[in-house]
Amino acid sequence: MIQADNLTKTFQDKKRGQVRALDGVSVQVNPHEIFGILGPNGAGKTTMLRLLATVLTPTGGTARVNGHDIVRDPAGVRASIGFLSGDMGLYGRLTPREILRFFGRLGAMENGALERRIAEVVLLLDLKSYADTRTDKLSTGMRQRVAIARSIVHDPPVLILDEPSYGLDVPSARLIERFILDARAQGKCIVFSTHVMEEAEYLCDRIAVVHEGRLRIIGTMEELRAVTGKSRLREIFLELLGIPDARMEARA
Amino acid sequence: MNPRAVFTIYQKELLELVRDRRTLISMVLVPIIAIPALFGVMHYFMASSQKQAEREAVSIGVPRQPAMPGFEQALQDAGFQLSPSDNPRAAVEQRQVAAAAEPARDAAGNLVVRLYIDDAREASEAAASKIRAALDTFKDRQVRQALAGSGVSEKVLTPFTVDKVDVAPKGKKAKKMLGGMIGYMVILMIFSGCMYPAVDMTAGEKERRTLEILLSSSAGRDEIVLGKILAASTAAFITGGLNILSLAFSFQFGLVGDDFREFLDGAQLHPLAIALLLVAVIPTAVTAASVMITISSFAKSFKEGQSYLSPLIMLVIFPAVIGMLPGMDANPRLALLPVFNVSQLIKSIFAGDYTASAFIVSFGSNFVYAAVAFVIAVRIFKREDVLFRT
Repeated sequence: MIQADNLTKTFQDKKRGQVRALDGVSVQVNPHEIFGILGPNGAGKTTMLRLLATVLTPTGGTARVNGHDIVRDPAGVRASIGFLSGDMGLYGRLTPREILRFFGRLGAMENGALERRIAEVVLLLDLKSYADTRTDKLSTGMRQRVAIARSIVHDPPVLILDEPSYGLDVPSARLIERFILDARAQGKCIVFSTHVMEEAEYLCDRIAVVHEGRLRIIGTMEELRAVTGKSRLREIFLELLGIPDARMEARA
Repeated sequence: MNPRAVFTIYQKELLELVRDRRTLISMVLVPIIAIPALFGVMHYFMASSQKQAEREAVSIGVPRQPAMPGFEQALQDAGFQLSPSDNPRAAVEQRQVAAAAEPARDAAGNLVVRLYIDDAREASEAAASKIRAALDTFKDRQVRQALAGSGVSEKVLTPFTVDKVDVAPKGKKAKKMLGGMIGYMVILMIFSGCMYPAVDMTAGEKERRTLEILLSSSAGRDEIVLGKILAASTAAFITGGLNILSLAFSFQFGLVGDDFREFLDGAQLHPLAIALLLVAVIPTAVTAASVMITISSFAKSFKEGQSYLSPLIMLVIFPAVIGMLPGMDANPRLALLPVFNVSQLIKSIFAGDYTASAFIVSFGSNFVYAAVAFVIAVRIFKREDVLFRT
């Protein structure tokens, strides 16, 4: 469903000169799979997701999303994906129903089918009581539900989620987890980045660790454990980054 | 390009604009209420200060001792209340009277009427003007009496008269002037009314973190930009249109005051002129929106966007003011100048001497500018360094 080959992105920065934000990353993500991307701040996670969402253009390599090339057919890629980020990106002056209608129409859905889908999504995410209230009047949890609804209103086969649980309390984060698991059950291909190790360990079928733009490791939890000799994802992550565990450091 | 996607974005932008109080103020409230209110308040203060000046101008100072036979009577006949004083000049300085007239002899022994006025007071100026008129009548009467005694005909006083004939159609000058003024105001309104929506749709989207989501939707960059430009054009046009209607209302219902109406010599905003004006401002609205969307796309925050666009408003004022000046008419080269050409067109519509070619040149040139700005805006929307500036 997603095939990235040697995906590279360099930026020109006034202070730092040429910055290699992503350096030759190749991955494959399949339907029915949750693929997690971990990495410290500035590692290249968001750049990778933005490239897959065609918001950015690669400076090297390419990727195919649901059969569409991100460089040659970005419109086809965008029609196949649902994009969700931690800051939700909701239009505060619109109601959830209007937001869903807006993105559904942009997704080329016919009016009748769109209204049926909106009704379905409203029911699925329990938005009914506030579907016609302005979004800027809603709580963070409610807005998170609306953001999820927005990303799936056109029923895309691929979900790209950039730190979707960022800043959320445990109940709201649980909603995200449930959403991701449901999406996998529906056969979707899910790529998401996170800083929350427990979340990644709990949800992901496979995990990739990116550091300084490069892919450091990729595999299932068992494969990561086998390679690093560590049991918990947190330890594996620190090991790959070359950072000693705080408890070990304190004992020493 | 998919027209449905463009229309969807256009609809969404307009919906967001009408739900925002700040936009409603700049787009609707200011052009509808501010203009009649401005005229109304100006008219009220001018009329009341004029009335006060007229009231105060009635009382004038004269010397306590009569110095010229018939002098006091001539002033009383003109409606003045005389206030005899030992020092008429001091009476004016101390604001006891609006002005004073004092007959005296100069060094050669000739009779001179000295007029004391306080130039800083409107009432003093008004009184002086009435005193001059009264003394002219008094002088005229004395001359005629002297001539009657000498047997010389009164006709010797007026060997000929000057009769000025204005060959321009009635009120044309006033209409041109009015057209220039309205053109200036409408253009300014279009640009200022477009500023907030343009910033809101670009820098505002970046600030609210909605732009990335929009860019990852199925809509193409060109569709996004066109939808936004059309929405900003609509906002600019509504602001300009409401301004025109509000001005028409102000003229129609006398909010501008009787003096101004007299000056306009019957010039009014007829329905056809209003319709033509609304058509004439369309290209300016599109150009304003395209340029403002383009410039504000560079900004990363709403405040930054506003500071980028404020100088543009100042820049627009120059051609609009030049266009307003009487005697400034378009030539083929100047007709290509944005803003200026529309202000000339508005002037012509009022004067009733507009031509189809003026419309064509204005529409053609403005749409070329708008198209260029659109192409630039699409390019900017493809520039990652601009979209993801931090």
